[in-house]
Amino acid sequence: MILEDAPPVKLKGVGDGFWVTLDPSRSEELLKNEITKLFERLKHLAINARVVIDVGDAPGGDDLVNALGGFLKKQFDVGVVTRPPEKRVIPVERIRQRDLSRGWTQHRSDVLMLRGRVRSGQNIEAKKHLIITGDVNPGAQIIAGGDVLVMGRLLGQVHAGRPGNDESIVLALDFRPTQVKIGEHVAAGLGDTTNGQVEFASVVNGAILVQDYLKSNPFGRIPWPEVI
Amino acid sequence: MEGRIIVVTSGKGGVGKTTATASIGAALALEGKRVAVIDMDIGLRNLDVVLGLENRIVFNIVDVVNGRCNLRQAAIRDRRIENLFLVPASQSDNKDVLTTAGVDRVAKQLRKEFDYVIMDSPAGIERGFENSVTAADEAIVVCTPDVSSIRDADRVIGLLYSRSITPKLVVNRIVPEMVERGDMLSHEDVLEVLSIDLAGLVPMDEQVVIATNTGMPLVLQNDSKAGQAFRRIARRLNGEPDLPVVVPSVKGGMWNRFTQKLGLKQ
Ligand SMILES: Nc1ncnc2c1ncn2[C@@H]1O[C@H](COP(=O)(O)OP(=O)(O)O)[C@@H](O)[C@H]1O
Ligand SMILES: [Mg+2]
Repeated sequence: MILEDAPPVKLKGVGDGFWVTLDPSRSEELLKNEITKLFERLKHLAINARVVIDVGDAPGGDDLVNALGGFLKKQFDVGVVTRPPEKRVIPVERIRQRDLSRGWTQHRSDVLMLRGRVRSGQNIEAKKHLIITGDVNPGAQIIAGGDVLVMGRLLGQVHAGRPGNDESIVLALDFRPTQVKIGEHVAAGLGDTTNGQVEFASVVNGAILVQDYLKSNPFGRIPWPEVI
Repeated sequence: MEGRIIVVTSGKGGVGKTTATASIGAALALEGKRVAVIDMDIGLRNLDVVLGLENRIVFNIVDVVNGRCNLRQAAIRDRRIENLFLVPASQSDNKDVLTTAGVDRVAKQLRKEFDYVIMDSPAGIERGFENSVTAADEAIVVCTPDVSSIRDADRVIGLLYSRSITPKLVVNRIVPEMVERGDMLSHEDVLEVLSIDLAGLVPMDEQVVIATNTGMPLVLQNDSKAGQAFRRIARRLNGEPDLPVVVPSVKGGMWNRFTQKLGLKQ
């Protein structure tokens, strides 16, 4: 009788990447097959994603991770593949150097960038981040899985981080939306507060807060350009 | 040369589509063009009333599209303005009696017979709207300076763009005193949202109500500011696109026009 134990490969999303936990006692062939099944489902989300492969403390773990990492890069265009940081710390500097030396020209992105005016009755939905160079009129609705950046007037309804991503922000050069949702949070009537500054909304202590972008730049603390 | 079909539309009702259709049509005829105004507001016809031609209706646009009569039989010739013709709507049918294919067929014929064909569309963005825009080469979107009218105009502009029609805007029922006091949106506020070319600005004018009730074309009333505005809109459409736009003002037209143009306005 076959033991009903844990599946040989498990996958979960963490931050901007994926965490793959696998059973190093299984054959490399079987692990590749299982990994392929899981990554095929991710489709383009796998592209350039950071992947952590967790094989526990088993001997020969490095070799296995290297082999599978190479396989993932070749088959699915993933980004950096590492072992879990506690087990073997790769200096952050080295990851960054690698990111830089890969060159950005190869990077494929899920960012949807549109140019022009979004009018009343129009709905725009982006899987991940959404950038609109233009105005968003009252009565228009824009939705994104990640951040929403409007290089113009934002007067319509906006939902960033759908579903459930409270880390997302909404930014506009002229921030006067009729309604803002971020993740599961809602706020209305944020408009008419602008005094010519660029503003952004984010979730702070469980509520949507609108702030001057240049005074409290949410990205200013990130010390290095990262792919999103 | 083939004639141009221009649809007058707005999304919202009561903003001045029928007034604009009658006035621009009459003004183009006064410019010497052969013009047909078509009432596409099936079931709620009133272009005939505005033009004072109600009692001369025999056939209507539904009869033409459905082959019960030909275009010449249905087109009523205006006796005051040469070269102005009306094809009325039917009062009894509903909007679903027309198909876009039928309208397109009649449109071909209209283009041959007239220099300008102005279509007055119903409110809404459903079937009646489809039938009105299907054959249009150009569009005039009418709105009033209020938030809900602008919202609907914006929606319609999006729909027109999706059909590769680039619309022009008429802002109607402007009350300069209210704009000056800050109680009404200015045309700049409207344009900030709609951002399309301006065909003209039309003030609120009680002559419109008088003209509508008497069936006397507005553009024949020489003292009507709205009538003058529509005549300028017609000239802009008819080969004078650079004719300066007059902003309705409390003091009245002339000085405002020149000072604006010369950049003297403080
Ligand atoms: N510039 C104006 N000044 C005063 N009244 C106007 C003006 N434009 C339209 N109206 C009035 O508003 C009402 C609605 O106009 P109408 O042209 O029938 O609108 P629509 O065809 O868009 O429903 C009518 O009673 C008309 O007389
Ligand atoms: Mg009407």
